[in-house]
Amino acid sequence: MEVSPLSIILVKSDSKGDRLLFRYPFQTRCNDEPSSKGRKNPYTLPVVDDLLQSPKQSFSNINKENLTGLTDEVLSSLFAVKTELCNRKFELKVNDVRFVSHPTLLQLRNKQEKEDDSGMLVNIVFALQALASHSVVNWKILVKCYHDLSKRMGIVLKYEEKRCGYVSEQTQLMTTAHDDGYTNGSNSAFQIILEKCSLANNIKKMYDDLCTTGLVNLRINRWIPLTFCLPQKVHQWHIRGKIVEPEDIDRCLSALRPYHSLLLLHPLHQKNDFTSLDGSPGLDRMLNQYSPLKNLQTLAADSDLTLTHVFELTAHLVYWAKATVIFPICSTNKYVISPNAPIHLNSPLLEKFSDTFPGSNLIRTVGEFSLPSSLSQKCNPLCHPSQQSELVKTIIWLLQHHLLLQLHTYIQYMPTDNGPLYSKRGNNKSCLASPSSRSSAVVNSFQSISAERTESESGASTVSEVTEISVNKNIVLENVGFGTTEEDKQDYQEELLLDFPDEERSSIFKIPATNTPEDLKLFARLCRKGYFQGNHHVEEIMYLENLRRSQLMQLLDKFRDVLITYETEDPAIAMFSCSS
Amino acid sequence: MNLKSKCDNTRKEGPIRCIFFCEFHHTAGPMISCQVPENYISKELFDSISVYIITKAELQRSVITVTLHDYKILGFPVKIDDRDKYVRNAFHFNLCFVCDSNARTVQYETVVMKFSNYLIAREGECSFLSDGKVNEKLSPILTQVMDELNNKGECALIEGATTTHLKVCTIRLDPTPVMDHQVPIFIRELPEQQWDLTTQQVTPFIDGFNHVSKIAVLSDVENNLVKACVQNLVYYGVVALIPLFQYGNVYCTTPKLKMMMQDNDMQKKCLNYVAKNPRHLPVIRDVFRIYSAMTRGTTIRDLCIRFNPSNLRINERKLVQFGVLEGIIRRVQKYPVILSDNADLHKSLSGVSSLDELCCSIGVPSQQLEDQLERDNNVMLLWK
Repeated sequence: MEVSPLSIILVKSDSKGDRLLFRYPFQTRCNDEPSSKGRKNPYTLPVVDDLLQSPKQSFSNINKENLTGLTDEVLSSLFAVKTELCNRKFELKVNDVRFVSHPTLLQLRNKQEKEDDSGMLVNIVFALQALASHSVVNWKILVKCYHDLSKRMGIVLKYEEKRCGYVSEQTQLMTTAHDDGYTNGSNSAFQIILEKCSLANNIKKMYDDLCTTGLVNLRINRWIPLTFCLPQKVHQWHIRGKIVEPEDIDRCLSALRPYHSLLLLHPLHQKNDFTSLDGSPGLDRMLNQYSPLKNLQTLAADSDLTLTHVFELTAHLVYWAKATVIFPICSTNKYVISPNAPIHLNSPLLEKFSDTFPGSNLIRTVGEFSLPSSLSQKCNPLCHPSQQSELVKTIIWLLQHHLLLQLHTYIQYMPTDNGPLYSKRGNNKSCLASPSSRSSAVVNSFQSISAERTESESGASTVSEVTEISVNKNIVLENVGFGTTEEDKQDYQEELLLDFPDEERSSIFKIPATNTPEDLKLFARLCRKGYFQGNHHVEEIMYLENLRRSQLMQLLDKFRDVLITYETEDPAIAMFSCSS
Repeated sequence: MNLKSKCDNTRKEGPIRCIFFCEFHHTAGPMISCQVPENYISKELFDSISVYIITKAELQRSVITVTLHDYKILGFPVKIDDRDKYVRNAFHFNLCFVCDSNARTVQYETVVMKFSNYLIAREGECSFLSDGKVNEKLSPILTQVMDELNNKGECALIEGATTTHLKVCTIRLDPTPVMDHQVPIFIRELPEQQWDLTTQQVTPFIDGFNHVSKIAVLSDVENNLVKACVQNLVYYGVVALIPLFQYGNVYCTTPKLKMMMQDNDMQKKCLNYVAKNPRHLPVIRDVFRIYSAMTRGTTIRDLCIRFNPSNLRINERKLVQFGVLEGIIRRVQKYPVILSDNADLHKSLSGVSSLDELCCSIGVPSQQLEDQLERDNNVMLLWK
């Protein structure tokens, strides 16, 4: 696994010189491969290489996931950096190994060494594989993550040294072990250090945690907790084979909306595993109210937290691979099999599923979602309520394992053969500026999007003009609401769609529903707000405009000549189950 | 055009900001003896990192990259042993490239190595580096190398009768293995050059509709050779792989479909691409309607019956091709899984291989196989 460290190295440098105190792993693993020498065919001719060429240099310092070819002295001289490079990121690449660390200078507590107050340099270095040429990992971010861990470790050590001289004590222990064990070779010295020193033990645990789960949970000197999460690794357990970068998570979280919902990947009763004693009380409150059927807004209201706080907590849980974001489960949601679903006969999920739901078969259950199907389609009125709750549980399980993908309906406005005409469109979207929506955060984000678009599509119109027009329009709309007499009809129709280009207007007026003022008004409103450009799905429009599904569906049906609908996944929350 | 795109490419990878040559002076220690441009790396900075540049013996001939706050320095430390020639019995030097600290530098590693080897050779021939006048001699060479590598991505050092070529090779992702049932399609014109014989024989049959096995038969080339050749073309970004077109195929839309209405260039490209006749372009409304109607459960045959694309001046095969290439639609594959305990079929019908793969490997028309599997109650067809 290329995101796991090859080795963790601890180097110190002080007035007595530099020394590699500890590295883990120090014993070379896996020697079970048959050596090529034993199998050598005695009849082969010795291959004489071109004698004129210098012997081929091997450009690799990695052998079977072990760091090789660099002695402890070399490593120590490399990482005992000059003071100019201290307390900042250190990154060095030697052949195919990349070393990352945060060299930390600390002031020793020991009073005896008062004569030289230069302090001591402690450097915890992570050796990583640097196969950047054909890797899917963004190594810059990976380096950043490891640097962060090294930096945090440095801060902890600095503090502990100040508090109780922990670092001087541990380095003393390690140096003695090295001096004593010098005759027996360095590996035995490392073994002794590992038995005696708690810092070495911490480093070992850190290495093991990083290699297995990606979640580091340490208590340095049995006092300071150090927790760290390597996102590239930690998401492996629920999405195997896909590397989730921190920026993917950021993208998902920036698309978070109040109507989304949280889905925990662990059963709720395990929540104590990931809420520490001194954790946020808000998190605890939120988890007590948690249900995958609630959206974030309801969750915030029920747990008496602000929406932004709930967003932050959600972000936290998603980053630490404890939860994922879905659209709340309801009877109208349409699900299909996710394109990357690892369903085959040898999949361990099969057994896991039949353990959770005795008597059912994962493949048969998933197979029912080959065609888009919703909960309401699966439950007929004769269904027993318990069956329905069982079905909901099944869907939650499938969503937790990223086997299902939800389809949403998107709408594209297509008034003419050549699509919408963009002559006056700039002012359409500006209506958003009117404070109509509930969640200001959402509106703000939409506003910024629409502002960008206004600039890009109609370069001529300035923002000030735009708001002016929109204000006028609001007045017009209000007037329209009162006009009901028959002869006014044509007029208000015209007025309603005043900002639409003539061609678009004529094709819209061919639709019989335009004779109903309510329908036309709603259509004009939604169209102006830019909901029909494939950026908003039906559920989002319902949420933002406070509409019922039936209202919107009827409208889409009545105006189907100019509105084209299609079904696809919500790109923001589908990132965990789609490759793109 | 080609040159320009290559140039852009190297620029994206991060240009070389500076090249310097440093040596271990027998009295002064590590020092920079030649630098282009002058004083890009200050003496203080150099002193703080000299341990990574003039290194211990064990790190000789390793590619070492140091990332600092502002710079990234890429070097290849070299030591030449000669008891008679040098005061300290050996000559240490390192030729380093300096880039921005956030730039990618892997592609320069081989260049630095080759350049250093070139200098070693010249030092061996005529004490080029150690006679004390290295600054005057080297600085025009370094200037030339830096300019040409940054602008053209390649450089030739001519010395008498020998020429040393330096070239920056873009390092790309390894291409995935090519399967029998996949269809190669050109996404770029095949560059004019002396291709190998296999490629010359194979490329005429790459038309975006023939799958790999069929190309092998048509071109009379062994199947694995065709795969290797296609993989090579994929690596260079000349060819893309798409699923086989059949009227029974099912496609679904992706979130990228909205781009079609938001991106005018893409729209134009699409209309030209899918047109049956380039003089009578179809209209975007029809094209968009057909794409929108692609859902799980709707085959291309159904769509053809519903919309009659040729009446709308649309070539449905091209329509699907464009959609797949641009990623606005995606093929929905069928994966048969057997549920009974039939050990013979467990391997092939395990859910790992799609119907296309199976058809291609056993040579049965997909319709026939699908009908047969659908009649079997023990087989589940998963669409994903």
